[in-house]
Amino acid sequence: MRKHKSLPRATTSVIFLILMFLGVGLINTSFLKLSNILLSLNSGVVYTVVAMGIAFVIITGEIDVSVGATVGMAAAVCGSLVRDGQGTLGVLLALLVGISVGLFNGFGVTYLRIPSIIMTLGTNGIVRGMIYVYTEGKWVENLPVEFKSLSQKQFFGTFTWFYLLTLIGMVLIFLFMNKSRIGRYFKAVGDNPNGATLLGIPVKETKLTAFVLSGLFAGIGGIMYASRVGFITPIAGMGYEMKVIAACVLGGISLTGGVGSMVGATVGAAIMASLSRVLVFLGLPSDYDNTITGILLIIIVVFDSVFQKRSAERMRKQRLAAKIVHSESASEVSSHA
Amino acid sequence: MRSTRSLKDIVFRWESFLIALLLVEVLVFGLINPRFLMPRVLFGSINNFMTISIVALFVTFVLVTGGIDIQSGAIVGLTSITIGILWNDLGMNLYLALVVGLFIGIICGALSGFFVAYTDVQPMVVTLGGSFLYSGIALLLTNFSSTEAYKGISGFPDEFTQFVRGRIFGVIPHQLIIFLVFVLIAYILLHKTKYGRYIFLCGVNRHAAEYCGVRTKLVVMSTYVLSGLGAAVAGILLTAYLGTAKTDLGKEITLPVITAVVLGGTSNLGGTGGVIGTALAAVVIGILRFGLSLANVNTQYLDIPVGVLLVLAVAIRFSAGNPTVQKIISKLRKRSANP
Repeated sequence: MRKHKSLPRATTSVIFLILMFLGVGLINTSFLKLSNILLSLNSGVVYTVVAMGIAFVIITGEIDVSVGATVGMAAAVCGSLVRDGQGTLGVLLALLVGISVGLFNGFGVTYLRIPSIIMTLGTNGIVRGMIYVYTEGKWVENLPVEFKSLSQKQFFGTFTWFYLLTLIGMVLIFLFMNKSRIGRYFKAVGDNPNGATLLGIPVKETKLTAFVLSGLFAGIGGIMYASRVGFITPIAGMGYEMKVIAACVLGGISLTGGVGSMVGATVGAAIMASLSRVLVFLGLPSDYDNTITGILLIIIVVFDSVFQKRSAERMRKQRLAAKIVHSESASEVSSHA
Repeated sequence: MRSTRSLKDIVFRWESFLIALLLVEVLVFGLINPRFLMPRVLFGSINNFMTISIVALFVTFVLVTGGIDIQSGAIVGLTSITIGILWNDLGMNLYLALVVGLFIGIICGALSGFFVAYTDVQPMVVTLGGSFLYSGIALLLTNFSSTEAYKGISGFPDEFTQFVRGRIFGVIPHQLIIFLVFVLIAYILLHKTKYGRYIFLCGVNRHAAEYCGVRTKLVVMSTYVLSGLGAAVAGILLTAYLGTAKTDLGKEITLPVITAVVLGGTSNLGGTGGVIGTALAAVVIGILRFGLSLANVNTQYLDIPVGVLLVLAVAIRFSAGNPTVQKIISKLRKRSANP
C-alpha cells in the first residue's frame, strides 16, 4: 500500500556524509584513508554520546539545553576523583550527577509543567555555577595516564574503544526504540501527547525517562571528555548543548517531536565532527567552522521542510484519488446488485 | 474594561510581583552592604546588564509571536567587529560605520526571519543556524583586521565612548536614560500600535490573524528584524562602553536574555507577555547579580541564584494554571472579598 513512503531523514544525512567525504576526497585523496575517516568519527565521540541522549528528549517533543553543563560537571567530578585514586567511585558519581540533573529537569517539566527550554535553561545556569563551587574555579589536572589512555585504546587501526561502545549502544537503543513496546512510547508521546494519553501511554513517566536518559548520556559524555581531554576547566562542555542540538537536527530529528532516530543523531554528530577535519584537508582556517555549520544547518533544514511539504501534498492528493476510485467502484457494486 | 480594573487585579499582576521582588532585593542588599544604596553605585549597576536588557526588550516581540531567538548574541558580536573593522582598518567615518552596523543587524534578523516565516522550519533551528553563521562570519571578518582577534579593536574617539559612559550630574548614567528610551519605544510599539496588536494576534492564533487580513508572515518576519536591530544597538552600546570591538562580546548573553524575557511573564508559547515585564525582569536579574557580587559572593557562582530564580518564578507561574492551585487561590480571593 505505502509505495511512496518517503525515505527516513537519516538516510539523507548518511548520503550527505558520504558525499562530503567523497567530495573532499576528490580534492585531497588522503582524506579517504580509513584511518582518517575513523579519526574524524572518533573526534566526535563525546558529541555522539551526548547527542544520543538529547535525542530521547527531542523525540518526545521537549528540549534539553542543560547537557553542556552536565558534561562539564560529570567530567569535573569524575576527573577529580580519578586523580585522587578513586576511579570506580568517580565514574559512578559522574553517572549519578547525570541522572540527578535529568531527574531534576524531568520533574520540573512533567510535574511542575515548566516549559522544557526554560527549565533546562535554569538548570544549565545552576549546574554551571556548581562546577565553579565544586572545583573552586581551578582546573582539574594531572589525571593518571591509565585513565587518559582509556580513550586511546584501539581496535582495527584507529577505531577506539569508546567509539565502538558508542556504536554498540546506538544499535541497542535503535532496536529498543523501534522493536520494543516501551521504546516506541517515546515517538508516540512526541508525535501526539494527547493521543498517547488516550492510548494509555504514561506520558509524564516517558518524558521523565527521556530527561533522565539525556542526563545519563551527558554523564557518560563527561567521563569520556575527562579521559580524552585529560584536564577539565570550569568551562568544560560549554556550548555543547547547541552543537548536539544542531547534530540532531542535521541527522533528521525534528524539534517538534515524534520524528527521528538514534542513527540520525549519530550521523549528525559525525557530520559535525568531520566538518572541522574537512576544513583542515581543504586548507581552510578553522575560523570557517561555525560559518559552514550555520550555512549547512539552515540549508539542510530549509530544503527538508520544502520537500516534506511537497511530499505531504502529494500524499494528500493520492489519498484523495484513492478515495474517489474507491467510491466509484463501490457505486458500481451497488448498481450491479 | 480598563477603567474598572480594581486594586486587587493590579496587586495580582505579574509585574507587581517583579516590582516587589526588586524592592526586596534592594532592601536586602542595602542591609548587607550599605554602599549598595548609594545612588551612584545603585544606578551605576545598569552598566553590567544594559546589553542583556536592550536585547531582551526586542526578543520579547519574537516570543510573543510564539517563536524564539537565540542568535542575538552572535549579532551583537558581528555588529561590534564590523564597526571596528570599518572604522579602524578601512578608515570609514565612525558614525557611518554605526549605521552600517545597524544595517547588519537588520539584514541578519531579516534573513532568519524570512526562513522562519516563509518555510516551516522551527524558529529554534533557524536561529541556532543563525547563531553559528553570524558568529562564524564575525570570526572570518577579523582576518581583514590588522589587530589580533583576541585583543579586539580599541582606540575609539572619546565623544563616542563618553556618550555611553557619561553620567548626568555625575550620578545618573547615560546608559540608564538610553535604556528607558528603548523601553518606551518598545512599549509603544508593542502595546500602543496596531502593529503591536497584530504581533499578539499572530501569537494567539496565526490562522485567525490570517483570516482577519493580517499579513502574518510579514509580521512574524518583522519581529526578527526588530530583534536583530535591538541586538545591533546593544552591540554598538557595548562597544562604546568597553571601548573595544570584539567578536565575542555577545557570546554569553543568549541564555540571560531568554531568562529575562520569560521571567518577565512572556510565554514561550506565544500570545502573552509584555515589554514592561521584560524590562523589570532584566533589572531584577541585573540587581541580583550586582548585589550578590557586592556582598562578596564569587561572580562565577552567580549563575546559580539566577537559575534558581528562573525555575522558581516560572514554577510559581505555571502552577498557578494548575486546577488544584487555582481552586485554592479562588478560595483565598473569596475569603478576602467577604470576610
